[in-house]
Amino acid sequence: MEKLAENKIIEDLLPQKFGKQGQIWVACLLAVCALGFYAYCRQLYYGLEVTALRDYASWGIYISNFVFFVAISLVGSLITAVLRLTDVHWSTPLTRIAEIIAVSAIAFAGLIIIVDMGRPDRFYNLFLHGRLQSPIIWDVIVITTYLFISLLLLYFPLLPDLKIMMGFKERNGKFLQKLYEFLGSFWKNKPEQFKITDKAINILSITIIPVAFAIHTVTSWLFATTYRPGWDSTNFGAYFISGAFLVGAGGVLIAMYVFRSHYKLEKYITDDHFDKMGKVVVLLALIYLYFNINEFLVPAFKMKKAEEEHLMGLFTGEFSPIFWFAISTSMLIPIVILIFKKGRKPKLAFIAGILVVVGSWFKRFLIVTPTLLHPFLPMHDVPKSYTTYFPTWEEWAIAGGSLAGALLVITFFARIFPIIPIHETIIETEHHEKA
Amino acid sequence: MRKHKLIQLIVLVIALVPGILMAQAVEKNSLSLNLKYYNDNNVTHHLLVQAKSKIDGKFQQIPNIPVQFYITSDADKANLLGKGVTNEKGEALIEIPPAAKAEWLKSPNQNFVVVSTATKKFDEGRGELAVTKAKIKVDTAEGRIINAKLVALVDTTWTPIAGVDVIVGVKRLGGILNANETQTYPTDSSGSVTAEFKRDSLPGDQKGNIVLVASVVDNETYGNLTSQLVVPWGTKSVYMTNFDHRTLFARRGHSPIWLEILAYAIVVAVWSVIIFLLVQIKNIKKLGVE
Repeated sequence: MEKLAENKIIEDLLPQKFGKQGQIWVACLLAVCALGFYAYCRQLYYGLEVTALRDYASWGIYISNFVFFVAISLVGSLITAVLRLTDVHWSTPLTRIAEIIAVSAIAFAGLIIIVDMGRPDRFYNLFLHGRLQSPIIWDVIVITTYLFISLLLLYFPLLPDLKIMMGFKERNGKFLQKLYEFLGSFWKNKPEQFKITDKAINILSITIIPVAFAIHTVTSWLFATTYRPGWDSTNFGAYFISGAFLVGAGGVLIAMYVFRSHYKLEKYITDDHFDKMGKVVVLLALIYLYFNINEFLVPAFKMKKAEEEHLMGLFTGEFSPIFWFAISTSMLIPIVILIFKKGRKPKLAFIAGILVVVGSWFKRFLIVTPTLLHPFLPMHDVPKSYTTYFPTWEEWAIAGGSLAGALLVITFFARIFPIIPIHETIIETEHHEKA
Repeated sequence: MRKHKLIQLIVLVIALVPGILMAQAVEKNSLSLNLKYYNDNNVTHHLLVQAKSKIDGKFQQIPNIPVQFYITSDADKANLLGKGVTNEKGEALIEIPPAAKAEWLKSPNQNFVVVSTATKKFDEGRGELAVTKAKIKVDTAEGRIINAKLVALVDTTWTPIAGVDVIVGVKRLGGILNANETQTYPTDSSGSVTAEFKRDSLPGDQKGNIVLVASVVDNETYGNLTSQLVVPWGTKSVYMTNFDHRTLFARRGHSPIWLEILAYAIVVAVWSVIIFLLVQIKNIKKLGVE
């Protein structure tokens, strides 16, 4: 990074108003959210009948979306905690991007679970009458905990930046100024305050790792503790965590490119960041590929009758186009792109990130639904419509609305707060200058 | 015009001929009705009919056949005992109603008739059965000995019957478990059989009760006769349930203690950290105000 004057850094990194592109982007997201909300109102009024969910495929794209959100949220712990604790400094400009992705994703993971419920008005019963032995209860507890920890991890490093932003009263406007004052008027840049903040961030970085592992392991146990073809695996926890790290890192690649090009942050999110992040994605894709081989090759070698139907459906049957698309786009093609130095240039890395995220969404769908269509004990005289699943427009709209909602949270966050930590960037620049 | 109508008529006939031929091609199968008589513990009597037909060279059980049961003869509709329809095993069953008592008491021998009317696939069927009224009584003697006595009605007197095979055992899962290694016992001149009970460790109910059974099965003269007696010769069964135990698969509030300790300890530990950090925010605030 070039030597940059403090004022220049502040000027570059302060949140900017939406331009025309930004306004169109927000309008599109709001429109998708509104459609999703309308579809959800229809679902509330008519019940789950408006969906394609039936006795066989009782978990469709809502739960696929939930698993996807939980997965992508894991990136917060990877970039913020793992890289911070291992003293990797190049990730500093990416920490806030990773954290806001984590916060918005985990918040919508919780929401999408409620959407999947036929009677959301009974949600409170989960807390009143929850069964401690059930992984569903663990998931509720761990998601809530992870959301709180992620919010704190977002908030503590933001405090010095709030102080900086409060200095631009006219630029901020009344509402934003009040918001900044509410959140950080007490921050006076005192050494004692920095000491407490640093300590808190370190504690959070240590705490978030087991919680993040727990959230995804518990989510995998929602499936693995159920005796069904495709889910009956001891490998599921590690398989889910590796996949979660991959999709999260892919998401960061996309966000890096979008913020860099939209806010002209080329001096802060450099080609070197893409290069390093690209290497991380390759490593994670290879690990996830390894777990996929384990997950499919071992049962395919034994080919037990019930597993055979499920696996052949994925390899050569009705789900094979999605399966091979997901495997190729989430792992194989990104590896091929990012393994070369030229592939780790921003534009190609961005494309690889998109492939990873899109492929990973379909991968979650393949984990959830095909298994449900092949139960060990099929229903007697099962209606033909139960044996297939294709989401209705309401399901697509709600799932799309939730994805748009998560993007909207990230977009508004970037409008209100600096997406790259200003204070940390200044400190690191000073360190560079001294060195 | 006439020629045109003639062509229409020919086309119509050609179109109908295959249907007519097909209709003629359907052949009905003959139906066999096998009737059986049961005397249950000298209290109730029932009749069972088995409907069978030879299809593709094999006898098959025929379901959904409507049947009518008669006592003595089917010539008089007053003798109708009842109606039934064969189930998926080709069987229909009827209890002999109290209304048939007068007819039953007329003679020591009794005829029964079962008839079925013709259906689309099967001809009408008919089955007859003649039985001599008999009864069997099971009893016990000291030393876990089972006695059974078979008597038949000769004129107006219940007379012991010799040389009839009797199964003596214990009622178990819908069948009869032999009392010892011997399968059947022929009745002696006094109509009696004696069997030693050797099933010492047989599980009974909560009081140790088991049901002794003496039975004559498919006898040509007497039909099926059964007598039962409850005796406390089994071992007591204690009802065991782990419904209220703390297990991973138990209901809410019954999770294993180790799981509760572990789960709550983790939750408390992590949330203590979160609360500690919230307190740190308060401390930062304090420092800012000072």
